[in-house]
This record gives sequence, C-alpha cells and structure tokens, in this order.
Amino acid sequence: MSAEALAFGERREPALLPAFVLAALVHLFLAAVMFLGVRWQSHPPETVVVELWEAPPAPAPVEEAPKPPPPKLEPEPVPVQKPDIAVKAPKPKPKPEPKPAPKKDVDFKKRLNEEVAQEQRAIDEQLREAQRREAAARQQAIAAAARDRALATWVDKIRAKIRGNIRLPGDMSGNPEAIFDVTQLPTGEVISIRLRKSSGHRGYDDAVERAILKASPLPKPDQLNLFERQLELRFRPQDK
Amino acid sequence: MTVTQDIDIWTLVVNASVVVKVVLVLLIAVSFLSWMFIFQKWFAIRRARRQTEQFEREFWSGNELTALYQGAVTNRHTIGSLERVFEAGFREFAKLRGQRGGSDPSDMVNGARRAMRATFQREMDFLERHLAFLASTGSVSPYVGLFGTVWGIMHAFRSLANVQQATLAQVAPGIAEALVATAIGLFAAIPAVVAYNRYSHDIERLGNRFESFMEEFSNILHRQAVK
Repeated sequence: MSAEALAFGERREPALLPAFVLAALVHLFLAAVMFLGVRWQSHPPETVVVELWEAPPAPAPVEEAPKPPPPKLEPEPVPVQKPDIAVKAPKPKPKPEPKPAPKKDVDFKKRLNEEVAQEQRAIDEQLREAQRREAAARQQAIAAAARDRALATWVDKIRAKIRGNIRLPGDMSGNPEAIFDVTQLPTGEVISIRLRKSSGHRGYDDAVERAILKASPLPKPDQLNLFERQLELRFRPQDK
Repeated sequence: MTVTQDIDIWTLVVNASVVVKVVLVLLIAVSFLSWMFIFQKWFAIRRARRQTEQFEREFWSGNELTALYQGAVTNRHTIGSLERVFEAGFREFAKLRGQRGGSDPSDMVNGARRAMRATFQREMDFLERHLAFLASTGSVSPYVGLFGTVWGIMHAFRSLANVQQATLAQVAPGIAEALVATAIGLFAAIPAVVAYNRYSHDIERLGNRFESFMEEFSNILHRQAVK
C-alpha cells in the first residue's frame, strides 16, 4: 500500500510545457483579435464627425487663396495710366525745343528742360503716393473682408451646430426670426443666453435656447484672434 | 471634439479605474490557467485512453496473469490507470493466496476487489484533478467580469453627475472600457465550461470501463482461486 501511495504522489500531470505554450498562443490570438477588432470599429465615427464640419469652411479658404494675387496684379494697370499723363508733359517739351533753339541760346533750353523734369518728378511722386495709398486701402479692405468672411464662417459653423439640435415645435408656422445674444468662454462653453428679439412663438424661442445649451461647447474659430465672447445669433425656423 | 478619436483596446484598459484593472488582471490570469488546464487535461485524457486500450488488448489476448503482473511492476512509473488497478488487485490476490495456503476463495477475491477499488478511486481522483478549477472558472468568471463592468459603469456615470448637459460622448468611453471586463470574463468562462463538460464525460466513460474491467477480473480471480 505504501509503495502505491508513493507512486501516486510522484505522479505529475503530463505535458506541462506544451500546455503552457498553447495557452500562451491562445491568449496572443485573443489579444490580436481584440486589438484589430476594436481599432477597426473606431474609424467610422471619425469620418461622420468630419463630414458634418468640413462642408461650410471649405469654400472660404478657396476664396481667400486667389485674393492675394490681385493686389500684385493691380500695379500693372496703373503704369498704363502714367504714360497718359506723362505724354502731356513731354509734348510741350519737343514743341518749345524746335522753336527757341534756332532763336535763343542753349541756356534757356537747359532751364526749360530742368523745369520740365522737375515737374515730371513731382507728378510722378504724387502718382506714386496715390498708388501707395490706394494699395494700402485696398489691402486693408481685403484684410477686413477676409476677417469678416472668417467671422461669418465661424458664426455659420456655430449656427449649423445649434441648428442641428433644434427640435421645431409642432405648431410652428411662418418664418419669424429670433435673435439671441450668447456669451461664451474662450473654450466655447456657453455662459449665458439672452433672448434679444423673440420670434413671437414661445415654443420656438425655447427650442432654440435649449439647442444652444446643447451645442455647448461651441466650435472654435479657425484663427483664435477671431474669437469674440459676445455673439449675436439669428435663427429662423426655415433656415437652410 | 470631446470623443477621443483612437479608441483602441489599450487606451481603454489604461484609462480604466483601479478596480477594473485588478479585475482584468485577475481574469486574464484565471483564463490563462484554465487554458493551461484545458490543454493539460486534453493530453492526459488522450493518453489515459490510449493506455487503457493498449492494456485491454494485452489482457484479453490471453497472456499469463503473472507475466502481465511482472510487466506492470517493472514499468510502474509509466503504466496507465487500468494497469495500476490490475496490479493492485493481483498483488493482493497473490499475497492472500500465499499467506495461508488454502483460504476461502471468496475472501481472496473480496480482498483483491477492495484493493482494486482503492486504486480505482485514486486513479479517478488523479484523472479528475483540475476539473474543479475549470468548473469554477466557468461559473464564476462571468460574475467577476460583470462586477468589473458594473464598477466601470458606475464610475462613468459618477463623472456625469456634475455636468449639466449629458451627452453620450461623455459616458461612452467609460462604458466601453467597462465592457472589456465582461468580454474577458466570458472569454475565460466559455472554453472552461465546454472543456469541463467534455472532460467529465470522457472521464466518466473511462471510469465505467475500469469498473467493468474490475468485475471481469474478479471473475477470473475467483475461477483461479477455486482451481
């Protein structure tokens, strides 16, 4: 009996190492499946989110890009004008030349030439000054327009996000406009909403207010210097 | 955008709370052990079946009982369960027969039978080793995983309490990371349950085979004792 008990105690489960290796393989397989499976699933939401936002800002950069060239092109047409004026000045030049030349001395001719040249220079300078001023004004106007456009894009983006959240009340009729003053933090979080002009329909005003709250945090502008704490947002039920 | 874009399993696990992490580690360890036992038992049962078949073939091919017994004693570390049962029974029988020359045949057979039954119990115990672990893995690890999930979801909702505007995006990552615990719990449990059912069935069949062999061998011993 004791010999048997000893034999029993000595017995070990066979194939410990192969079992260990196989178990490790199974778990590696599981890890691979989980990694690949979950990573694959995370892609679709990304594209959905992008689809919503890419549409409005896309045209803006396209318009902005071609604008800078015009100011460079503009100086070219102006020189065309300069000859027009310059032609008037040289005209008197050749006329007096043949007349006094035979009659009087060379000094007079010289002086005349100098005077004409001076006049010409003054005219040129004035022209250049005017051009510079014009160009600066134009550039300012372009910058302001770009800023306005970017601001409008941003506000459009915000309104688009809010509009997605508006649940129109069932008894809505007509297309009245509601104006809201929205104060936000630089992070886009909405601090306060004030109804400036009611649409005349209580339900619609409330729906828009709820939608603004729900849209918090609001999208940020493309350039951070465009940010404004106070925004005036206008909504109409049939906005597209 | 509030949702993190790259939700892969690693970020989920790393962002999980401590309790969920502990649950995950525990489940992975349990799953690893249970798979190890699954493979081990698979090899062991296959070997036991092969050895049983081989011994039955040898036994019924009409070899001398003493020759078989000698073979079993010399190879006692490598022989299978059925051969051990045979060896224990025959040793007891030989002892009883040699002791008092002419003792009662039924006493001798009963003694051999008791010895065989003891060895049989021990062999069955050896074959069933670790099966209890598979059974408890199968029944408990889903609950452990569920506990991790519930804890993770509680965590996810608690962070929602101080937010005015509740959105799905704020809860979704928390719930996703919590559900990983359930997934791993089920991954540990399902194979364990399948293997437990399969192996306990296999071992029961082997046990039946041993028992019928014991009956037949007792008859042979009885015939020898009477002779």
